[in-house]
Amino acid sequence: MGRRKKIVQECEKLMDKPEQIRNIAIAAHVDHGKTTLSDNLLAGAGMISDATAGQQLAMDTKEDEQERGITIDAANVSMTHEWEDENHLINLIDTPGHVDFGGDVTRAMRAVDGALVVVDAVEGAMPQTETVLRQALREGVKPALFINKVDRLINELQEGPQEMQERLLDVITDVNELIRGMTEEKDYDWTVSVDEGTVAFGSALYKWGVSIPSMEETGISFGDIIDMEESGNRDELHDRTPLSDVVLDMVAEHFPDPLDAQPRRVPTIWRGDAESELAEQMRLVDDEGEVVFMSTDISMDPHAGEIATGRLFSGTLEKGQELYVSGTAGKNRIQSVGIFMGDSREEVSRVPAGNIAAVTGLRDAIAGSTVSSVEMTPFESIEHISEPVITKSVEATNMDDLPKLIQTLQQVAKEDPTIRVEINEDTGEHLISGQGELHLEVITQRIRDNQGIPVHTGEPIVVYREQPQEKSREVEGVSPNRHNKFYITAEPMDQDIVDSIKLGEVAMDMPELERREALQEAGMDKDTSQNVEHIFGTNILIDDTKGIQHLNETMELVIEGLEEALDDGPLAAEPVQGTLLRLHDARLHEDTIHRGPAQVIPAVREAVHRSLIDANIKLLEPIQNVRIDVASDYMGSASGEIQGRRGRVDDMYQEGDLMVIEGIAPVEEMIGFSSDIRSATEGRASWNTENAGFRVLSDSLQRDKIMEIRERKGMKLELSPAIDYI
Amino acid sequence: MLTFIGLGLYDEQSITVEGREALRSADRAFAEFYTSKLIGTTVDALSKHHGVDVEVRDRAGVEQDADEILDAAEEGETVFLTAGDTMISTTHVDLRLRAHERGIETEIVHGVTAQSAASGLTGLQNYRFGKATTLPFPYAHGADGTPQSVIDTIEDNRERGLHTLVYLDIKVGYERAGVDAADEYMTADFAAREFARDWDEDALGVVVARAGSPEPVVAADRLSALSEREFGDPLQMLIVPAELHDLEAEALEAFGEAPADVIEDNLY
Ligand SMILES: Nc1nc2c(ncn2[C@@H]2O[C@H](COP(=O)(O)OP(=O)(O)OP(=O)(O)O)[C@@H](O)[C@H]2O)c(=O)[nH]1
Ligand SMILES: [Mg+2]
Repeated sequence: MGRRKKIVQECEKLMDKPEQIRNIAIAAHVDHGKTTLSDNLLAGAGMISDATAGQQLAMDTKEDEQERGITIDAANVSMTHEWEDENHLINLIDTPGHVDFGGDVTRAMRAVDGALVVVDAVEGAMPQTETVLRQALREGVKPALFINKVDRLINELQEGPQEMQERLLDVITDVNELIRGMTEEKDYDWTVSVDEGTVAFGSALYKWGVSIPSMEETGISFGDIIDMEESGNRDELHDRTPLSDVVLDMVAEHFPDPLDAQPRRVPTIWRGDAESELAEQMRLVDDEGEVVFMSTDISMDPHAGEIATGRLFSGTLEKGQELYVSGTAGKNRIQSVGIFMGDSREEVSRVPAGNIAAVTGLRDAIAGSTVSSVEMTPFESIEHISEPVITKSVEATNMDDLPKLIQTLQQVAKEDPTIRVEINEDTGEHLISGQGELHLEVITQRIRDNQGIPVHTGEPIVVYREQPQEKSREVEGVSPNRHNKFYITAEPMDQDIVDSIKLGEVAMDMPELERREALQEAGMDKDTSQNVEHIFGTNILIDDTKGIQHLNETMELVIEGLEEALDDGPLAAEPVQGTLLRLHDARLHEDTIHRGPAQVIPAVREAVHRSLIDANIKLLEPIQNVRIDVASDYMGSASGEIQGRRGRVDDMYQEGDLMVIEGIAPVEEMIGFSSDIRSATEGRASWNTENAGFRVLSDSLQRDKIMEIRERKGMKLELSPAIDYI
Repeated sequence: MLTFIGLGLYDEQSITVEGREALRSADRAFAEFYTSKLIGTTVDALSKHHGVDVEVRDRAGVEQDADEILDAAEEGETVFLTAGDTMISTTHVDLRLRAHERGIETEIVHGVTAQSAASGLTGLQNYRFGKATTLPFPYAHGADGTPQSVIDTIEDNRERGLHTLVYLDIKVGYERAGVDAADEYMTADFAAREFARDWDEDALGVVVARAGSPEPVVAADRLSALSEREFGDPLQMLIVPAELHDLEAEALEAFGEAPADVIEDNLY
């Protein structure tokens, strides 16, 4: 029997023993060594050759991942590991570190119970370290820490045992400070600790690792490590204290199994009735219960077609089952179930609760769907906090490819919810919006190379928003036939409420009482929270009217008009955000036919736009947090690169022998930043950016920018005379 | 001068003589056929018959860009045409008010409306009609099923012993997702089916089809029975009567072939 086959059988045996299962993700700042670490674990489990591990980057299977040297898609693998004489099944997800692909991390966290956070010993905790920790803790996923690249402390920085230990402790302190800040309200302590063994150190490249428990066992000290590294005896170090053993032991010992994790996690990710049998089945990881599966990843396999990967919370997945997919009608039939092994999916006859499974046949599922054998309240949507900020147009070069391109774009949207695709069948010029330049570049390259569709793309442009700055007076919108009138006000909404909507803590599909409470908790007054009629984006419509005849059956049209008005703001037809709208009064025609869509929609749209203008609506642009690590000689030119981009430097400090510059800058100005900073610092800087929401564009630029957008969209180049404040 | 002229119910012959004279002497003739339509003729035939060039305007051309019509009315004799009567179900009082605001003199030449046919053809007394209502196509209103306000209207009327005239939706050149722009006319059997499903399948209904044409159809029966019949070409309407007076019952039996047991159930 082949080795692979044997491992699959091992895995199958363990699938039914939840107490021996660990579902984990490896997450970190970009380039800190996640995939190299995964290699070690795969080799340790006998799935790849020990000799090539560390350089093979077996989880970076895609051609573009190898070319670019970064992970783009989260990748799944299952392996076994023996700990304390018992075999364990470890379902692992290697996640990308680049901020543009952060959506993959967010989704992976839904599938796992433990997060192995990797930190580069030289760089220390970086912006994405903080982000992945936040993503993990928000999902109730327990962290442990692996400090990687310790070899660099020895070989590059020539540190002795004392300095080395101090530096490692600094990293741990920083990480714990982050964890503490994010779990203040929790009743458990999830900070990591060297003594308890929730921290390990080592070198993924040279395949050795240690933790306090392992050092006690092997008797290897920091001094020994330094000696062996310096004398080039790395192989001996690997033999005596292999990284995979240390880390997999830590995983088996300290990460929760599904039986421990699900009772804690289910209430935070599911709003259904906690008293129900279904809830009980999920808490108990009941493989005989109803099937409850959440797909966290959709990918395309050239042979098998669409594969949905995700976490099975209860029941057992089997071929031929007919399952409901949240948000769609009808059922999907499962064609095959499987688990992942490196780059390939292995079909198995069944996968029971508590595991990560790969399923084909769920054609309606998207990343984030709840899939179940009974109709049920879906899981909370997996909210990725950063909205798309950059847009590119994509056009097929050959007419013949038009339908195929549309199909491909629809598939892209299904697989990656952090992307927004706008199909325009009339012009053939489609728009893709994503998290950053690289995100869009990767997608368009994949369309070209993988799908073989030649496309040309436009220059990247930034996505804007519109938001009112103050409270408007009550304004009127009149229907074309003048028989219907709507009276509306608009005002900017409190940031706390906006955040609650973004995090999915407030949504229309939740029970009304719960929504009211969540809104009040976020600071909305009681009366207002009781009259919430609709939530659209981060905007809320309040119905403050009383007893208006026929309004009920007209409300859907009101909402349609509202959504149209908010999708295309009054300034530049960009989306409106963070606005509280109140419907105060309405006059409606007696007969339905004279208050149909052709009347109500334009009337409401007019009222909404007029209220927004009266509320001093302005254009917002996306901004990024920027961090530059640079040799002090180049500090001036590096900070100049931020300031010269309408940016602001907030902090500069020394870290090791490097200077760190922190600030913010508009995304628009950051296009092309990479090559500029490289030449300004002669390649001596590393930098990180992270989308940080939207900010009002400065007054002096408002008019020009609005006109520029209007021109690009082919809109009239004059603003409504009411917009006299811009 | 802006003269509102009702074209009546069916074709180019349905206009009154007074209307015809006004139309023929006009400098400009505008018309709208999105609220209702003359089924028995075309715009071309209408133009030719009266020797005028009838300029048809869509909803936007009347409601948003009324200026062209009003400008013409300021300059010369201008008429505005609709099927039926310009001021009844078509509600063009807005246009008249706008003209008035601009100091333009207005006049109305009445046309025969569906309401006169509704009592005329069926024998239901016009004194006993309550509020009229329109049943919109399901895709054209926000709610699911029959709008509550339509059912409320029928029930309120019946409580007070009044008949309800239900106009049936027409969509002219209407575009919606997945369907090419086309003219659509709701049929009376469709409306009967909606009411039978959402309200009361045993209630009495009276269909009037192609009122004003040489061969109008009147049919009285239970809604469930009407929903299974076909009444031919548009336009159609449906009346939901209250309890019937003797003469009304007799007329429905005579002209609408109402089954005796149905009439029996609906007598005073
Ligand atoms: N010196 C040294 N280099 C390492 C070590 N681990 C990884 N690297 C190097 O760091 C670079 C990035 O490693 P990856 O494993 O691809 O990092 P990653 O975190 O998976 O990167 P992304 O997935 O793109 O975020 C590679 O050049 C590795 O060879 C280590 O322990 N020591
Ligand atoms: Mg990687």
